[in-house]
Amino acid sequence: MWQRLKSRRFYWGFIAIGLVLGLMVATQFRVARQQAQAVPIQRFNELMTDVQRARQEQESLQARVDRLRGELNRLTESPDLAALRSELDAVRTQVGVADVAGPGIEVVLNDSSATLQPGQNPNFYVLHDEDILKVLNELRAAGAEALAINGERITAGTEIRCIGPAVLVNKTQRLTPPYVITAIGNPETMEASLKMRGGVVDTLRYWGIEVGIKRHPLVVIKAYKGATGFKYARPAPAEGGE
Amino acid sequence: MPTRLYAVALVAFVLGLLITVQARVAGQPPGEILPAARVQELTAELRRLEEASAGLRREAGELEQKIAAAKQGQTQARAALQTEIEKYRIQAGLVPVVGPGVEVMIHNMPAGSLPGTEQYVFAVRDEDLLRVVNELWGAGAEAIAVNGQRLVSTSEIRLAGTFIDVNLQRITPPYTIVAIGDPDVLASALEIEGGVAEMLRAFGASCLIKKKDTVRIPAYEGTMAFQYARPIKEEVRG
Repeated sequence: MWQRLKSRRFYWGFIAIGLVLGLMVATQFRVARQQAQAVPIQRFNELMTDVQRARQEQESLQARVDRLRGELNRLTESPDLAALRSELDAVRTQVGVADVAGPGIEVVLNDSSATLQPGQNPNFYVLHDEDILKVLNELRAAGAEALAINGERITAGTEIRCIGPAVLVNKTQRLTPPYVITAIGNPETMEASLKMRGGVVDTLRYWGIEVGIKRHPLVVIKAYKGATGFKYARPAPAEGGE
Repeated sequence: MPTRLYAVALVAFVLGLLITVQARVAGQPPGEILPAARVQELTAELRRLEEASAGLRREAGELEQKIAAAKQGQTQARAALQTEIEKYRIQAGLVPVVGPGVEVMIHNMPAGSLPGTEQYVFAVRDEDLLRVVNELWGAGAEAIAVNGQRLVSTSEIRLAGTFIDVNLQRITPPYTIVAIGDPDVLASALEIEGGVAEMLRAFGASCLIKKKDTVRIPAYEGTMAFQYARPIKEEVRG
């Protein structure tokens, strides 16, 4: 009897020691790994600061460029140069470096709000860069003269790319849904083109994407923010020699 | 008896390990996860911001020169305006341009090129070309032409009937997309794993990307007279 009691106590003792030892070893291991991870986190924070600083610099440079463009405008206001100035205004409008206004439409796109059934791929029911590209392309085909998404001007060279749940536009601008696309052009033509049977809106609605279209007598689209002028492309020599 | 004791101790030891690991996984604060993907994203963002700033700095320098010239007199002011107009005309796509870049050839899969493909042959669609072009712009392309059609701010790439229209002009396969920019950056943006070249090839289309020291991109052939959009005068600007 005593023997059995003693051995039982023995068991419990061993179990306790084993447990404590196991906990200690695992905790030790965990602390060691945490220390290894601490460095990248610090680097991550440094990077965050760098990105913030770079964004501030970009903004102040943008303000400087805007100021300089304005100064050049003021210096060339004489009546003699009026013809050139209106040519400059026209070509700036085409590039997208001028605020413009005109009749148009507003297209609001939002991810599907439908509750998914188990097994459905949620990725099918959210907006992708491609969906936005298609809407913009359709608007261009319908004669849109100026386009913007969430206030960011769409120029010829504007890319639309998904990064996580956001969309990256004009290299540095991150936008999140809902996406509001504004377009200047013939409102009826643009709306009809989007709503064509089997067209862009039909396809998006199939996936539950919310699409709202409104016509407006006057839409204002802001100028593209960013540098103009090319680094690689130069005017081709007159007789197209390659 | 001792063997049984050791066995019990071992089981308890393992149990202790498991409990700790479990607690660690369940209670891991977000800060402890190594944010490799986030670091990568931030690095890319930083690079893009620095590039944007470099472009702005370049433009500011050029504008300062033009302003200094314009202050000297009417003739210089006229010349400054003309170079400014020319810069925008190039960017608007109204001037043919040359520069380094890439040439991308995309072709439909020929019928019957593989056994059993007679019925289903993948034809390159407008949205495939849109994606290629979008990737090239994203990689910093400055000028792009699709089958000789310069892409401008109003250009569409759209299926009309059985053909693709660009700038309202019908284009036919093979599709040749020419872009000016950094050839390495442009090419790798298309060739990236899981990228658009891989997707096209998976569908059976061919996608050939050539880096070039010089490519030529024609000017936009259409007219860009806007009917609806009017510039807002600066006085009105906020």
